[in-house]
Amino acid sequence: MSRLLLKMEGIVKRFPGVVALKGVDFELKAGEVHALLGENGAGKSTLMKIISGALAPDEGRIYLDGQATAIASPQHAQALGISTVHQELSLIPSLSIAENIFLGRHPRRRGGVIDWEATGARAREVLRDLDLHDLDPWWPVHRLRVAEQQLVEIARVLTWNPKILLLDEPTSALSDHEVERLFALIERLRSRGVGIIYVSHRLAEVRRIAHRVTVLRDGQRIATMPMAQVTEPDLVRMMVGRDVQDRFARGAAGTGAPVLEVRELATPTGLRDVTLTVGRGEVVGLFGLIGAGRTELARALFGLDPIEKGQVLVEGRPVAIRSPGDAIRAGLAFVTEDRRQGLVYPLTVAENVTLASLQRFTQWGFLRRRREARASEEYVQRLRVRPPDPRRQVRFFSGGNQQKVVLAKWLCTGARVLILDEPTRGIDVGAKAEVYEIVRQLAAEGAGILLISSEPREVLAVCDRVAVMYRGRIVVDLPVEEATEESLMSVASGLEVPA
Amino acid sequence: MSKVSEAHVQDSPPLAAEARGPARSRWSWVMRGGPVIALAALVLYLAVGSPHFLTFGNLMNVLRQVSINAILAVGQTVVILSAGIDLSVGAILALSASIGAVAMAYWEWNVWLGMLAALVVGGLCGLVNGVVISKGRIPDFIATIGMMSVARGLALIVTDGLPVPSHLTALTLRAGLPEQLIWLGSGLVAGVPVPAIVAALAVALGWFLLRYTGLGRAVYAVGGNREAARVSGINVDRTKIAVYTFSGLMAGVAGLVLTGRLNSANALMAEGAELHSIAAVVIGGTNLFGGEGGVGGTIIGVLIMGVLNNGLNLMNVSAFWQRVIMGAIIVGVVVFDQWRRRRFGH
Repeated sequence: MSRLLLKMEGIVKRFPGVVALKGVDFELKAGEVHALLGENGAGKSTLMKIISGALAPDEGRIYLDGQATAIASPQHAQALGISTVHQELSLIPSLSIAENIFLGRHPRRRGGVIDWEATGARAREVLRDLDLHDLDPWWPVHRLRVAEQQLVEIARVLTWNPKILLLDEPTSALSDHEVERLFALIERLRSRGVGIIYVSHRLAEVRRIAHRVTVLRDGQRIATMPMAQVTEPDLVRMMVGRDVQDRFARGAAGTGAPVLEVRELATPTGLRDVTLTVGRGEVVGLFGLIGAGRTELARALFGLDPIEKGQVLVEGRPVAIRSPGDAIRAGLAFVTEDRRQGLVYPLTVAENVTLASLQRFTQWGFLRRRREARASEEYVQRLRVRPPDPRRQVRFFSGGNQQKVVLAKWLCTGARVLILDEPTRGIDVGAKAEVYEIVRQLAAEGAGILLISSEPREVLAVCDRVAVMYRGRIVVDLPVEEATEESLMSVASGLEVPA
Repeated sequence: MSKVSEAHVQDSPPLAAEARGPARSRWSWVMRGGPVIALAALVLYLAVGSPHFLTFGNLMNVLRQVSINAILAVGQTVVILSAGIDLSVGAILALSASIGAVAMAYWEWNVWLGMLAALVVGGLCGLVNGVVISKGRIPDFIATIGMMSVARGLALIVTDGLPVPSHLTALTLRAGLPEQLIWLGSGLVAGVPVPAIVAALAVALGWFLLRYTGLGRAVYAVGGNREAARVSGINVDRTKIAVYTFSGLMAGVAGLVLTGRLNSANALMAEGAELHSIAAVVIGGTNLFGGEGGVGGTIIGVLIMGVLNNGLNLMNVSAFWQRVIMGAIIVGVVVFDQWRRRRFGH
């Protein structure tokens, strides 16, 4: 293998409060598949965005075909021969496959009129190239399965004839058969001299398809090496790092009676046979990759998605949960993954804090504003929300403090079971530690906590027990002492099927 | 996975943002309001420009003229705060007024019963709006456009397309409109027009509802972030239904006042009133996408429109030109307000 298509030197990217890339080097040769690995927040996506022109680096140089180049925008990247297939699909559902593939650059007749025949013919060609004979180019995209949409997305990108192709978790929605199709395509592109950067959490796949691998951790490049020279455990170790975080002081009392019991739960959103118990004073980690079913479990428990089958018990009593109102009355609380589902931004801190327990703050329908003011004052103090002003609109607070307001809202309901979905995502390190502290403190006060996380370190540091989900099921449930970052990652990636 | 989390880091506001942003105080709707500045400028201009403007009689005149729009706009404010829009208030006004007038003039209903009928009809129309929107899961403006046509049609059916009471129906006419209703539209209390007093009561009711009730809080929450409100256990459907019912009720009140003032009701009265009420709400600084604003701003919006109207009359501007100027100024005020907000923060 030969020519260097892309060379990056000393790339630094800073975000407010975080240095996402701390001087990373990277290179891509013509005709190679180069895997980019790393945990959450390691800097993979930032690096991808810099290559695809979505972000500009703060420091460092980029060479394309040996030429120093500044990639100004995604359009510019496209023109330079760099194309990206994003994890989130960017197709327009109501338009046809052909229209999506040629969006904005349809073949035209003289006079600028779109040449629909040529559009259809060329779309058919591209689909055939991808071995997608069964798709009619005039079908609207929303009629396709997600996997097919993913392949159409790839088809679209290929019409640009990229020299460099970035694939971000391209197989997350694909079946085994479709993965084979994709791999065959990658092989064909590679043999034509296209350089491919491949990001995935599925290590087995990555080992099969990639020639070289670069591992990032905490914004630094840990290693770049030929895939043949590393084993999967090596990769996991490089991704996770050896340094073991201090564990938080756990509730000495151990765990009390179960506060939440889930029995053989199944949902239309893909959960199968989920059985789980959270005890009083216990923090249970729910680990898994995106799409494993963790958020789906939380949503079903909270009445946001329907339950097909199974039973939910709170403090030993079966509860029927059909709406979030039911869930709150049953004593559940849900800190959503997306903070935008947790806060009403135009309202003040005080108004957000009492939002989930308005019944307690109204009498005959009238608000008890003085009681509200007192309660919100108390939570603002207790959770150290800064600035400590409950009358300020919540949109003016930083991410970490907004998250504390969300927590305050749920504490205010007096919930006995707290479901936290990625509660520390996107907040800075200091606020993270505070959130962990609050979680442990709540457990010490007798709440049962279900902590959804994709960071193994977080799970190991904060939880008493950990359940790992894979494809809608809980595949492992064990005390945290028996888990390591490596074992969690392997189980969650489907590498290790536990007995 | 990391993609999402890093995107978040990037999107989250800088830490310095913590310190920004004013505390929300009781008077912040005034302080935040460019509309207040606009109204003051307008009043000042007219006071200097016309000797008749700042007279008690003229000011009372303005109040009488704006009262219908004020009552409708209170309902509209609550709807818009919940991220909805009610295009049917003019039609509901006409329907409830028509039914009330027919009941009193032709069916010889007691005046209180007739007024109650008008209010019930208004509330029911609003209730239907709310149910159709929340249970039928269709956009607010589609449902209320439908109601706009249905209510006008029903009003035409009830009145036979004639004014009520009408000389053409003199044979069936047993009674005129009761004097209590006339008083509601044209009476004076200590020199202040009764419609203005009714409007003030409506504003007070709206203000109280939004500020001091659980429903009011739910309205802001649903409009500010529907999904977050839902996750917090707020019954979004019930809130929507309540909001539209309230708006319909306000339309019923406005219908009675207008009937009393005109001494007659008809199926085509108050055409375009929905647009005036929406204009007043938006001029008053309430966010068209919901969650922010209140009746305090709306009343300023109503007054801006009323004063403008009055001033153009005093200055003998032709009625045709008045429409042109009115439209331009409505848009101008909102553009100015948006610019001010971007420039100086909320």
